[in-house]
Amino acid sequence: MTVTLPWSGRADHHCFGCSPVNPAGLGLEFHDGGDHLSAEFELDKRYESYPGVVHGGILAVICDETMGNLIVMRIGVPALTTSMRTRYVGVVRVDRPYRCVARADFGKALVHTTAEILDSRDNVVATATAAYQPRRSAS
Amino acid sequence: MTLTVSTTVTEIVAAELGRAPGDLRSDTDLRAVEGADSIKVLRMVAKIEQVYGIELEDDEIFGLTTIDEVVAVVDKAIARETAGEQG
Repeated sequence: MTVTLPWSGRADHHCFGCSPVNPAGLGLEFHDGGDHLSAEFELDKRYESYPGVVHGGILAVICDETMGNLIVMRIGVPALTTSMRTRYVGVVRVDRPYRCVARADFGKALVHTTAEILDSRDNVVATATAAYQPRRSAS
Repeated sequence: MTLTVSTTVTEIVAAELGRAPGDLRSDTDLRAVEGADSIKVLRMVAKIEQVYGIELEDDEIFGLTTIDEVVAVVDKAIARETAGEQG
């Protein structure tokens, strides 16, 4: 099921990762898998590093987006990334489909998350771990 | 080295290399296993990190050649995490 983020439809929603109206952004959509949130993506040469290879920083953005929005969807408030670590396992190619899957462990203060990026054969090509500080108030 | 870590690491390594756990000895040179390459080693490392909730340092993992050596760095990382949690 494709999820609807709390700020979907807002005129000021220009998130680089998930806004559908940011022409420079990734336009990610997320799917709720119950114990995880996932995003499918296929990036073109605008996001290239070496020829034919997706820039690793973009992959980190995708992991961060998927992990962060998982928290948003579970507890209903934005969460700020306090730390994130990415492990690059294999090469991610432009114009090929991949999927990012995020899971979270909700602690007392910080939320600890993991993400993995999988290719079309379900081989892991990157992983990430992160911690998030949920914004508890609406201010 | 704990038996549990050794068993789990052997299973992960065997799965990534497409072998049965019983085919691998703790002192098998993984670089000599047919089909082994740097990508598979990194996948193995990523899987181990996820299973144990640990982070292995790059300096630790590059140069690993045997399951015994992998288990040693996993034990070390688990000890680091445990020490961190206890403050």
